[in-house]
Amino acid sequence: LVLAWSLDEPERLGESVAVHTPASLGRGTALADDPARRANFERVRPGAAEATPAIANARIARLQLLLEPVGTDALRVRSVGRALMRINGRVASDELVRAGDVIEVHNAALFLVVSRARRMPELRNRVTWDFPFGQSDPFGIVGESEAAWAMRDALAFAAATDRHVLLLGDSGAGKELAARAIHGLSVRCSRELVARNAATMPDALLDAELFGNVKNYPNPGMPERPGLIGQADGSTLFLDEIGDLPEKSQAHLLRVLDSAGEYQRLGDAKLLRSALRLVAATNRPVDALKHDFLARFTHRIVVPGLCERRDDVPLVLAELLRRIAAKHAPLAERFFERRAGRLAEPRLAPDLVARVLRHPFTHHVREIERLLWLAIGTADADYIGVTEAVDAELRDAEHATADAADIDRATLLAAIAQHGNSPTHLAKQLGLRNRYVLIRLLKKHGVSTGPSDSGEPS
Amino acid sequence: MTKRADLLRDTLEIVLAADDSFPRRFYELLFAAHPEVQPMFRSHSPGAQRKMFAQKLVAIVDHIEDPQWVERELAALASTHAGYGVTKEMYPWVGEALIATLAEACASEWSAAAEQAWRAAYAQLTRAILAPSSR
Repeated sequence: LVLAWSLDEPERLGESVAVHTPASLGRGTALADDPARRANFERVRPGAAEATPAIANARIARLQLLLEPVGTDALRVRSVGRALMRINGRVASDELVRAGDVIEVHNAALFLVVSRARRMPELRNRVTWDFPFGQSDPFGIVGESEAAWAMRDALAFAAATDRHVLLLGDSGAGKELAARAIHGLSVRCSRELVARNAATMPDALLDAELFGNVKNYPNPGMPERPGLIGQADGSTLFLDEIGDLPEKSQAHLLRVLDSAGEYQRLGDAKLLRSALRLVAATNRPVDALKHDFLARFTHRIVVPGLCERRDDVPLVLAELLRRIAAKHAPLAERFFERRAGRLAEPRLAPDLVARVLRHPFTHHVREIERLLWLAIGTADADYIGVTEAVDAELRDAEHATADAADIDRATLLAAIAQHGNSPTHLAKQLGLRNRYVLIRLLKKHGVSTGPSDSGEPS
Repeated sequence: MTKRADLLRDTLEIVLAADDSFPRRFYELLFAAHPEVQPMFRSHSPGAQRKMFAQKLVAIVDHIEDPQWVERELAALASTHAGYGVTKEMYPWVGEALIATLAEACASEWSAAAEQAWRAAYAQLTRAILAPSSR
């Protein structure tokens, strides 16, 4: 069980308790009449597990839950304490739970059930990640899940090799943060990262943006520009939405990569050289990229979405709220507690956390951020909870996912054959809520709609 | 000692199970009877103050049979309270508000024995806080 919300101990989010044998969970240390060993909380990180103090949450009884593994993938949870228990929002007293289920001890704590090894494997790359448990790492990545740590390890490995990297992942999963981590961990970190979204570059100016130009070329009045490739000399060029780059530009970029960084500015006969490293990102299937261009990326790293690391959702929520409070003093004053004069935990309703924990994400961190702003903007009290607007938004996403679940691979392929591969049009024809639901469905069935698949900013 | 500890724990469990707003009520009663103490509680927001109060009270009752733990906690409490400007005269005010809140929340389950147990425990804790070694 991973602690996902706690009224009295918000600083303990992300701590977990392993239930491999029957266990008792409650406030304080073991009681003489505990029916099973007391569940102890830990902060688990690669190769280490730091035991933390017993629960001190006043609203949790000294003996609150009895936990017992059933088979290899289920857990029997019995509520024996005074506080009411809910499983996925329904009142329960004795129930089997599985990974992804949410256990609430009424108005005291929320636990997410996860299925994972008791110990996280050691990192393979010798990078010291020095940041407090549960908070963002030096590059802004938030997560203590195995998936988050595996990604950090892969980023560290790629950073040390100085090879070109392709980051794959959904929009909003954190590909730019991953790129910043690669740059920050590399020998190039003293130079500034050059970052640009390929989808925002106008077609007519693409080559000028990438390669630069001399003054007044190709159009009169154009200032001299070094181009992204020139700017990234000695540093890292991060190109987001690389899948939106036309094949012609991919070929031009490929030539630079193939010729050890040689390039020419538009209108300039002189051959220049840029010792850049390219980190590119896309949320499309890799076969949307030109085959030979794709082959230049030595490392392909998948940035996991929140569905693959739900145990990180509470930490992401907390971090986003910290950032909101830091930038918006009136909101901090209204929605946050103060302890000893300093900003402390947000007043966050457990039902909001419980719903977000089970949300079918399409835009991941960006989606949580939008839900939080919606909850804040529509709040009529001094806490952030499930308002009518938030409820409607969450229900919409749940229904859209349920509808998408009914569409099998054969139906999907038939629809593509009949209606073409425009995601917006295809989503409409299939009766899906939007193209993002379609994109998730395509991914689920391993179907690519090819290069004309329109992307979205990541 | 064990019987009194059980009585303290039982009443506190009843209160926490019956009433989510127990700490809020405690401060309402305290500030109504002694408005002059309210300005002392400004460094924490009311919500944080209530959580800290409930957590500390529950922890002390949980450890009531562990004198070393209680002594350590009370020494820390004595020092922070002195810093906030809490004086010797104010401790009985807090005790009265606490017992009134417990009685109100326990309703028909409040008994003379429970009241006696709480009064005795509170007096003992106050003596420890005010002892020169704690200050």
